[in-house]
Amino acid sequence: MFGSSGRDERKEMTAAGPRIHPLSVISMTFVFVFIAIVVALIAADLSYIGLGDVSAALAAPEIRAAIRLSAVTSLATLLLVALFGAPTGYALSRYRFPGRGIADTIVDMPIVLPPLIIGVSLLVFFQTDPGKWIETHGLKFVYTRKGIVLCQFLCSVSYAIRAAKASFDSDNQKLETLALTLGCTPMQAFRMVALPLARNGIVAGAILAWAHAVGIFGPLMVFAGCVRMKTEVLPTAIYLELSVGRIETALAIALLMLALAACMLAAIHRLAPGKRW
Amino acid sequence: MLQVQGLRYRAGNFALQEVSLDIEAGEYFALLGPTGSGKTLLIQNICGLIRADGGSILIEGRDVTRLAPRMRDIGYVPQDYGLFPHLNVERNVVFGLRARGVPMREARERIRGLVETLQLGRLLNRSTRGLSGGERQKVALARALAIRPKLLMLDEPVSALDESIRQTVCAELCRLQRELRIATVHVTHSFEEALAVSDRAGIMREGRLVQTGPMSQLMRRPADEGIARFLRIENIFRGRAISAHPGGTIVEAGGRRIAVPGQRTGEVVFMIRPTDVEVSPASEEIEARGENAFVGELAAITERGAYSRLEFNAGITIVTYAIPGRAHCVFETGGKYLMTLPREAIHVFDNPMP
Repeated sequence: MFGSSGRDERKEMTAAGPRIHPLSVISMTFVFVFIAIVVALIAADLSYIGLGDVSAALAAPEIRAAIRLSAVTSLATLLLVALFGAPTGYALSRYRFPGRGIADTIVDMPIVLPPLIIGVSLLVFFQTDPGKWIETHGLKFVYTRKGIVLCQFLCSVSYAIRAAKASFDSDNQKLETLALTLGCTPMQAFRMVALPLARNGIVAGAILAWAHAVGIFGPLMVFAGCVRMKTEVLPTAIYLELSVGRIETALAIALLMLALAACMLAAIHRLAPGKRW
Repeated sequence: MLQVQGLRYRAGNFALQEVSLDIEAGEYFALLGPTGSGKTLLIQNICGLIRADGGSILIEGRDVTRLAPRMRDIGYVPQDYGLFPHLNVERNVVFGLRARGVPMREARERIRGLVETLQLGRLLNRSTRGLSGGERQKVALARALAIRPKLLMLDEPVSALDESIRQTVCAELCRLQRELRIATVHVTHSFEEALAVSDRAGIMREGRLVQTGPMSQLMRRPADEGIARFLRIENIFRGRAISAHPGGTIVEAGGRRIAVPGQRTGEVVFMIRPTDVEVSPASEEIEARGENAFVGELAAITERGAYSRLEFNAGITIVTYAIPGRAHCVFETGGKYLMTLPREAIHVFDNPMP
């Protein structure tokens, strides 16, 4: 009676009825077709270049600088995303305030908005009076590395907030309330109950946002530029290499990013198995 | 110990309306009521999990109405026990002490007695995930009691347990409460459960506390027909007062004349508990002479495990219970029997329908 989980129910459901029937055949066909496309693309990349191309690309100083800059900026973005994700997700999950629906929609906006528009909007904003004021008071963003972080942050933070909110939403509120009767202040209940229970979801969301941030390209071209050794990150390096016809180097960087993405996905699945994003 | 005075709280279309309640120190009080009657809202108000719109809550004379939950000294066990899944059993039990800044070593010392009383020793290092329903309940109880609360609130504490162990667990709860002498409020929708554990009970209906009193009084003197039906009292009759009678009134119901206590006029609704109905072999002579004695036919026998439910047709439908092998006569469907409804056991509702 106790401990019967949804997993058991799913097992029973899938066990019922014949395994091979028209529906299962049709749906599984779509699965295989999709996987085949992805595998074919990766295989094509791998067949196009050799190990020598990868090591040559990694040895090039401009590529190394791009890897370094990608790592530094995306890690800075990760820090900011982690800082914003949990409290914003918590507030949206727990508090009912006027305009909550609008706030919820605005938080989701960067997910549906073409990233290029974020870059353009940033560029426009820093031409306005408040934007100029910020630029003249020590925080220069346009065509700088700080601008890369700002772009990456704005394009990816929604994923972290959404994941954190989903984690806080999932049935933990009752336990947090219960902690209040046991002697906790609201801050203690957050720290001792809500946060540990939502931790995996928050971390998985932050990793997802990070993975997204690493791949940002369009808005960087507009807002931060792609100046070699200055504002060149991995996606812009691929673009620059392609523009001068060095497909092997571009592919070597792409494979590096692919490996990184695979590691991140594995981490997300390990941290939050079964979560839907 | 706990005094609730004129408590009001609105949640959408539902409202707690002027609820007043007194609970004595060391008392085991059952809060009874059907699902949706407002029991859980009332205890959430008392615990401070939701803020009352009006009225006051006093614990040992101290007004706690506006205090945060942690300042009220109430141990709360929710219906699903609410164990923290990220902590093991021991960390769950010491949770309240740790939140109050008690170091782990001292917290362990403080829960030792409780762990022994509830026989949790072998579970302390286990995760809460693999525990049985009964074990989960004990852990939740220990966690609530570890903070040495002045009042213990149990929200449907056995409803998540298997039917077969509910009675045992209720007996265990009773024993523990007597041992610790802690004022306890046990929320339930089951009258049998309330009867098994409590000294006194209150019945809630549509956001109001409609009657409080000792269990025996609730069973014999429910305030209205609705409460009687909730308590599953079966012999409820509706009739019309036709004449006064020394010390009572004669009421005609279903073609029968029945003497009920008190002076009544107009429509009269009254009840008698099935266990108060006396049944004996049919006798026309006694029927003619005796008060409230009717000969009727046994219409149906329903087996209920330890007893049988007998339904007689005597113009009015009268229900009684018999323990097989212990009855004064042999019961057969279609047989004629004499039923006597002692006047002193009849209860007339002052407010028939709420």
